[in-house]
Amino acid sequence: MDIELSNDDLSFEAEVREFLAGNAYKDGEDPNKWRMDWFEKAREKGGWDVPKWPAKFGGPGWTPNQHYIWQKETARSSTPWDMPFGLSMLGPVLMAHGSEEQQERFLPDIRARKVNWCQGYSEPGAGSDLASLKTKAVLSEDGSHYVVNGTKIWTTMAHIADWIFCLTRTSDAGIKQEGITFLLFPMKQEGIEVKPIITLGGSHSVNTVFFTDIKVPVENRVGAEGKGWTYAKGLLEHERTGIAGISNSIVALEGLKDKASSVKRGNGSLMDVPSFKAKVAALEIDLMAVEYTELRSLATASAGTAPGPESSILKLKGTDIQQRIQKLTMEAGGQFSAAWGGTNAGPDFARAGMGGYMGSRVYTIYGGASEVQKDIVTKKVLGIKSSKK
Amino acid sequence: MNFDLSEEQQLVSDSIERFVLNNYDLESRVAIVQQSPGFSLDYWKTMSELGWLGLPFSEDDGGFGGDQLDTMVLMEQFGKGLVLEPFLASIVLGGGVLKRVASEAQRKAWLEVVIDGSKQLALAYAEPESGYEPHNVAVAGNKTNDGYTLTGTKCMVLHGKTADAFVVSFRTSGGVVDQSGISLALIPADRDGLTVQGFPTVDGLQSSELTFNQVSITADDLLGEIDNGFGALNEVINDGILAVAAEALGAMEILYKDTVAYTQAREQFDHPLSDFQVLQHRMVEMFMEYEQCKSLLFRATMEVAAGGDDAQRCVHALKHLIGKAAFFVGENAVQTHGGMGVTEELRVGHYFKRLLVIEAQFGNTDYHLDQFSA
Repeated sequence: MDIELSNDDLSFEAEVREFLAGNAYKDGEDPNKWRMDWFEKAREKGGWDVPKWPAKFGGPGWTPNQHYIWQKETARSSTPWDMPFGLSMLGPVLMAHGSEEQQERFLPDIRARKVNWCQGYSEPGAGSDLASLKTKAVLSEDGSHYVVNGTKIWTTMAHIADWIFCLTRTSDAGIKQEGITFLLFPMKQEGIEVKPIITLGGSHSVNTVFFTDIKVPVENRVGAEGKGWTYAKGLLEHERTGIAGISNSIVALEGLKDKASSVKRGNGSLMDVPSFKAKVAALEIDLMAVEYTELRSLATASAGTAPGPESSILKLKGTDIQQRIQKLTMEAGGQFSAAWGGTNAGPDFARAGMGGYMGSRVYTIYGGASEVQKDIVTKKVLGIKSSKK
Repeated sequence: MNFDLSEEQQLVSDSIERFVLNNYDLESRVAIVQQSPGFSLDYWKTMSELGWLGLPFSEDDGGFGGDQLDTMVLMEQFGKGLVLEPFLASIVLGGGVLKRVASEAQRKAWLEVVIDGSKQLALAYAEPESGYEPHNVAVAGNKTNDGYTLTGTKCMVLHGKTADAFVVSFRTSGGVVDQSGISLALIPADRDGLTVQGFPTVDGLQSSELTFNQVSITADDLLGEIDNGFGALNEVINDGILAVAAEALGAMEILYKDTVAYTQAREQFDHPLSDFQVLQHRMVEMFMEYEQCKSLLFRATMEVAAGGDDAQRCVHALKHLIGKAAFFVGENAVQTHGGMGVTEELRVGHYFKRLLVIEAQFGNTDYHLDQFSA
């Protein structure tokens, strides 16, 4: 057991820091140009624009330590916004199950951040129980295309996406996990209607999407018909570690302490109030542990073995910690966190207080609700099989 | 021993429940929130016609002689509909100070019009750096020939934008956190040097910030004795805590019942969600929190109404428990509703937002635990 970084790791860390510092956003710069240049320069470093992609597909082929360093350093730096749907979700599926033709057709545009993707998974009747999805894809008589009809919900960024990767039902025979097919099609076409859903923070990022007689050529099917569930499951696993957000939480916790220290209480600050301080400390202890849970998981992954049982708790603990940070930030803002624009009263950070907290409630719902995660741990890790259900 | 409502209280409760059912479905509430002034002037008028605004005032003051228990009955029903009208601001808080310490002339000038709803009051006590302590008062009254001038800021003044006059706390002696040396005045909203900046809060209500720039007050504006305002202010804040606790109880009832109904209607994995034991037990716990809050609400309200020795401790205990339960019930209602729980389309999110604001009002959960154990 050893957690020391090697000399190679240390020089990599220095190189990452230099890159991030040298390419940070400068005031007055055109943000879009900066973003595209940043990715270009990261690409020139040897695949730093697609850190998680395997070397075979142009990724950097980093060791787990290098991934850890990258994650830690980027969480503290100004890096351009990015969307995970093409890069981290569809990309790996195409690499594993797509045809060579599909890989050549879609991966370069994903890498260049030229095409925005969204994910068509959940449906009004299929949330936690995703496999019960009903969006129908019917193969035409000549076998040249599918016709898709149905409704998807909670589709993040559907309103700006160019393409969607979509789980559809091609068969009702057998168990419901069979008969699901993974299709790709453009969003900007007749027959697709996108309706915004406004969430409690007051913002619009998710949508309901309606499909009416959408024609999808068979060459846009990923893998075999009826095997989509298997591909999607792998993808969900990926999403589940990605959204643990541990490096970001470490930075956010430091931010929380700074904020609370700026709030006056009595002769000191809120960080001197024992009840508040204790909650921050308890949070920090959990975070210290989960940081190492992630490292353990990373180490197993790099050894090429199947992820150990520790990975299964990453999303559960990671999202719990994210929510607690938001909650304590709201508490630090005190009653000023209730303000909904139109005032400068209270500390600056309080303005986002209750909005941020309410927005954070979704962390334990999306990408597989915590209850479903625990069911998976029950079956897959603890090995408990239910005798009836 | 008897925990039943009196016949009169039951009548009032039923009539408010009907009013809320008929007028405060989610769609109607959202429509009211989106229009200035953020509550319904028609409903406000109705409330005055039905006598609700006069409930906690003595008959001599033109009211119905009710006490904190009557306000509790009303606020609990208001909580079930997230009623927007400024009952708390004008009647419980502003009116609460007046009925305790106002002079004959001030009563004559204000109570009748407050009770008939044609004028509104608001209470301005919190300050940017006062934390949750009502005795932490930095806005100072500088002595002049015939009174004082005030300079400084009061914040999170509920319904300040529509108020016709403010009850304001200010310091006339002592240090910033001393309980003595705090004085109260009733200052009309149009007084020179006073600016009111209104803003919405996440629960759809209206709050405001008050800036005092050399605002003159005379002896006629003073409420009660100089330097001795804290007692009345604290009693009124306790009344405010009892009122929002009752409101929170009503809101929590909606949340746990909606969750029970939703899990019975929503099917996943070929079962209604209510078949899953983890959710069943969670809902039992929500219900337990609700019942515990109800018990402590009764206890604290009766203790305060009777002027008991334990009143202050009970109020701290209540605000702590309500805040803790508000998080538990709210978070679990949202979680159990899944994605729908975090949208504006279902009412659970709206009730949760109101609970969050209540949690931070008049001192949050931790603050009252500290006070209780102090």
